[in-house]
Amino acid sequence: MTLAFLTAWAGAVPGYMTPLLLASIGLILCERAGVLNLGIEGIMAGAAMAGAVAALAGLQPARALAAGTGAGLLVSVPFIIAVVVFRAPMIPAGLALVAIGLGASGALGRAAAHKNFAGLGNVGFPEALTGLPLVGRMLFAQDAVVYLALIVAGRASFVLFRTRAGLQLRAVGEDPATADASGVDVQLHQLAACIVGCALIGLAGAYLSVVGSRTWTEGMVAGRGWIALALVVFAQWSPLRAIAGAAVFASADALIPRLQTLGVDVPVYLLSMLPYVLTIGVLVLFAALGWHRQGEPGHLGRAYIRQDR
Amino acid sequence: MLERVTLERRATAPFWLSVATYLGAVLFALGLSLIILTATGVPRDALFQELVMEVFFDRDGLARTLTAATPMILVGLSAALCLRLKFWNIGIEGQLLLGGIFATTVALYDIGGAMRLPVMMLAAAAGGALWIALPLLLRLRLGVSEVIVTLLLSKVAFLLLQHMVFGPFRDPTHNFPSSPVLDAVERLPRLGFGNVHAGLFLALAAAGLCGLMVHRLRFGFAANLTGDNPDAARSLGFPTVRIMVVVILLGGAMAGLAGGVVVAGTEYRLTQQIGLFATFNGIVVAALARNEPLAVPLVAFLLAGLAVASGSLKVFYGVSEGIILTIKGVILLSLVTAQFFTTFRVTLDRTGTTERAA
Repeated sequence: MTLAFLTAWAGAVPGYMTPLLLASIGLILCERAGVLNLGIEGIMAGAAMAGAVAALAGLQPARALAAGTGAGLLVSVPFIIAVVVFRAPMIPAGLALVAIGLGASGALGRAAAHKNFAGLGNVGFPEALTGLPLVGRMLFAQDAVVYLALIVAGRASFVLFRTRAGLQLRAVGEDPATADASGVDVQLHQLAACIVGCALIGLAGAYLSVVGSRTWTEGMVAGRGWIALALVVFAQWSPLRAIAGAAVFASADALIPRLQTLGVDVPVYLLSMLPYVLTIGVLVLFAALGWHRQGEPGHLGRAYIRQDR
Repeated sequence: MLERVTLERRATAPFWLSVATYLGAVLFALGLSLIILTATGVPRDALFQELVMEVFFDRDGLARTLTAATPMILVGLSAALCLRLKFWNIGIEGQLLLGGIFATTVALYDIGGAMRLPVMMLAAAAGGALWIALPLLLRLRLGVSEVIVTLLLSKVAFLLLQHMVFGPFRDPTHNFPSSPVLDAVERLPRLGFGNVHAGLFLALAAAGLCGLMVHRLRFGFAANLTGDNPDAARSLGFPTVRIMVVVILLGGAMAGLAGGVVVAGTEYRLTQQIGLFATFNGIVVAALARNEPLAVPLVAFLLAGLAVASGSLKVFYGVSEGIILTIKGVILLSLVTAQFFTTFRVTLDRTGTTERAA
């Protein structure tokens, strides 16, 4: 492997990493408040479609991203109301959201499919920086959202672990009865977490079309939402560890097509199993060591009503 | 927030309330779906014709509906069996794909001689059971949530399928990635009614046997109790772990069988599409059937009608298939949200709940 290959590979990693990171931070916020959001794939699909439609309509990339984010949030609203207000079982409600998001984006976006648009360019760092061997492209030849995602990760971690609101949010996911008894509004916190979380997931979806492929095709989310779900477990529900997790998953994603173009004969599909198998392995390892409760919100996926106390 | 609403869990919901909630949710979803369909350009007077007459009362349409219902019954049974034990099988697609791969392997390597077809179906069921065994083991032994593991294994199964149809099983005479076409002896016999094949009997028999197990056998009684209240079942001396293993493996086997039935009954080859939305379909069928195996065939039949209608809606009115997926999502979300009224007793409390909570 030459230096040029490594530089190009490293340069491609952030583009793969950013949507995974944003989506998993969104999930972490929901799950830390106790809401298991299996609808992520549908939210991302809706956001990707809306972002592309907005960009094709001539909106600036930043606005197209915002439009996609808003669409992701909009498609999540029925889910959020169902699970937070009506305490609907979260797993089927999430799967329903997947169907609604995938179905609606497929139906509404047909006119926008396979059309290219300009998309978001890179931040203009000087040649001296982007031209650095190995790390130049990875660190400096990137779009603004890449840096934004890292800031969001830091910010989310700070809010979750260093502020009163974050403590209350985690308390709601860990032990809603105790949180409730101490005067924390369980539903309000879940609502806030879901709104911010689903918006971030929406941004991740919009990134895929507006920045990543700069075109929209049906099914382009292609399981990234499911990967983000795995990543959350991998990162033990911590936004900062999600950066590392997303980097690992993205490196694998960026490597496989590169190996193919190099003419290396690898069983691509078997290699692509690695992130999934690795995550199961990590789950098993943590469980066997008795660690799997670390970080996992104690009341994740279960509805809470005050009378349960 | 909502301080003035007090919720209490109901021990049991009155029968009329369950019926009203169920019907209310379904009617709400159907009403919304009809609005969506008319908004996308289907003329209002064509809806009844397309969604009811063409798919249930027309000879060709009915045949297509029955064909589509066959795997749907099996995936519905898979979801229902697992859900009766509160096991969230989000990997029905993966189990189905393993079933399809196993059945195709038996066919391509000519295993089983004259018993080829039964061996294929058994292999399919075994493949499905195998793919649910790991999440089951992890749940029982290590307490790992089955939700994520079944989901991830589903993706692994899809990659395995792609590996097979692009690699070892690839039919070189074809441009599309798929396995070679199965021989005549490897196909489920057709019944002389459109493409309806013997898999329909398999699926109906499976539903009947599951119903028999759940309602008539001691084992089924123990399984119901284990699902409703595992602690009580354990203290009454029922072997809850063994019950769980048997029922969940059976659930995986049903999904695997669905894969075998699709390969040997309709596709006659292994393709990338055989498992599309299988998990979601299974969960929707189980939710509509309220996990009742005997209700699964009817529900699957009705939903299959919707799937078949989507084909003609697409051709004649340019309605995307995505609309049908959205409609199924709306039905599921409406059903699970409506459970609110049967799960909780809602009282509006004008004095607020603070005193009560103290």
